[in-house]
Amino acid sequence: MSRGVLLFAFNSPKYNYYEMAVATAKRVNHFLGLPVTIVTDSESLPAHQQYVFDNVILAPADKSNKRDWGVWINKGRYRAYELSPYDETILLDTDYMVNSDKLLKTFDLPTDFCCHDTTSFLMHPGAAQEMLSVYSFNTLWATVVMFRKTNRAKQIFECLEMVQNNFEHYANIHGFISVTFRNDYALTLATRITNGHTTPLEDVIPWNLVHVGKNTSVYRNSEDEYNTEYTVMFDNWQRGKIRKEYNIIKDTDFHVMNKENFMELIKYE
Amino acid sequence: MDTKTLITEAKARFNHNSAKSQLKDKYDSKLIVADQGGLWKASPELIGFLASSTDEHVILIDNFENPVMVNRMSLHDVLSKAYDDAMNLWYSEWKELESKR
Repeated sequence: MSRGVLLFAFNSPKYNYYEMAVATAKRVNHFLGLPVTIVTDSESLPAHQQYVFDNVILAPADKSNKRDWGVWINKGRYRAYELSPYDETILLDTDYMVNSDKLLKTFDLPTDFCCHDTTSFLMHPGAAQEMLSVYSFNTLWATVVMFRKTNRAKQIFECLEMVQNNFEHYANIHGFISVTFRNDYALTLATRITNGHTTPLEDVIPWNLVHVGKNTSVYRNSEDEYNTEYTVMFDNWQRGKIRKEYNIIKDTDFHVMNKENFMELIKYE
Repeated sequence: MDTKTLITEAKARFNHNSAKSQLKDKYDSKLIVADQGGLWKASPELIGFLASSTDEHVILIDNFENPVMVNRMSLHDVLSKAYDDAMNLWYSEWKELESKR
C-alpha cells in the first residue's frame, strides 16, 4: 500500500508556489517520512531544481481565476485523484506548515476520504466558522484532504470537477460570490452532493485546521531548518489603538493565509 | 531580530486566552485514537467505563456514531496510554506558558 503527499504548485506573477512547495515537501519528508509528488507546469519549474520530488507531473495551468492581487491558479484540483501515484494520498496546500507527524493519523481513520470541517485561528479563540453564505452550509476545507483510491473518493473528485465547471450556478443557488473560484467551496458542495446532500462524520478530520489569519504574523524562534517553535504576534485593535499580543506555539501544524509571511518563514528551509 | 527582542520592543503582552485555547486544540487532537475499526476520544469517562466492565468484549458507540464491538482491555490500554501521554505534555507545556507575561 503506497502512501504519499500531493502538492499542486503553479506560480502566479506575485507568488512563487514552486518554492513554497519545495519547503513544504522537505518538511513532509522530515516529519511525516512520506514522498511528495508535485503537480506543476513548465513555467513554474526552475531551470535548476535542487530538491528532488518523488514525481514531477506537468499539467496545464488554468489561469482563468483571479483574486484581488492577481491571477490565482488554483483550478484543476479535481485531478488529484487521477494524478496521484499513491494508494493513499494526502493532498496538501503548499502554504501548510508541517511541524509534527499529526497528518499521519489521517491514514488511521476508517474512511476513504476526509477533510477539515472546523478551523481555529491562532490568536482568535472562538472565531466563527466560515459558511458558504448565511443561507448555506459550513465550509469544508480543501487545505488538507486524505483520500484512498476507491470509487467513492473518485466520485467526489469527479463531482468537484462538475462543480468547478458550474461554479457560477452553485454560487447562485448557495448565495456566495462566484468571481473567485474557491476549492473549499467546491469541495464542500462536491462532498455533500456525492453523499446524498449530507456530510458524513467519516468525511471529517476529527481535529481543527489551524489558520494564521489577518493581523497575525508568525516568526520562527530559531533559524534551524526544521524549527517547530514559533512566536505568533497579533495586532489587537482596542479604542483606536493597537495593542500587541503574542503567543508561543510548538509542534503545531498551521495554514498560513498570508503568503508573504509564509515566504518569510521558509527562508531557512 | 530574534523573537525575544521583537516581543520586548513591541511591548507585546502574552495572551493567555489564546495560549489556553491553542493548547486545548493541540492536545484534544492527540486524544483522538483510531483502534479496532472505530474512532475514539481518550476521555476519563470512556477509560473508566472500560476499566469497570468485566466482559471481554463490549459494544461501544464510536465518534462516528457507529456501534463497534471491541476487546475491552486492549482498547483500555490504548486509550489510557494516549490519555496519559497527552495530559503529561499538555500539563508541562501549560506550566511553561502560565508564567509568561
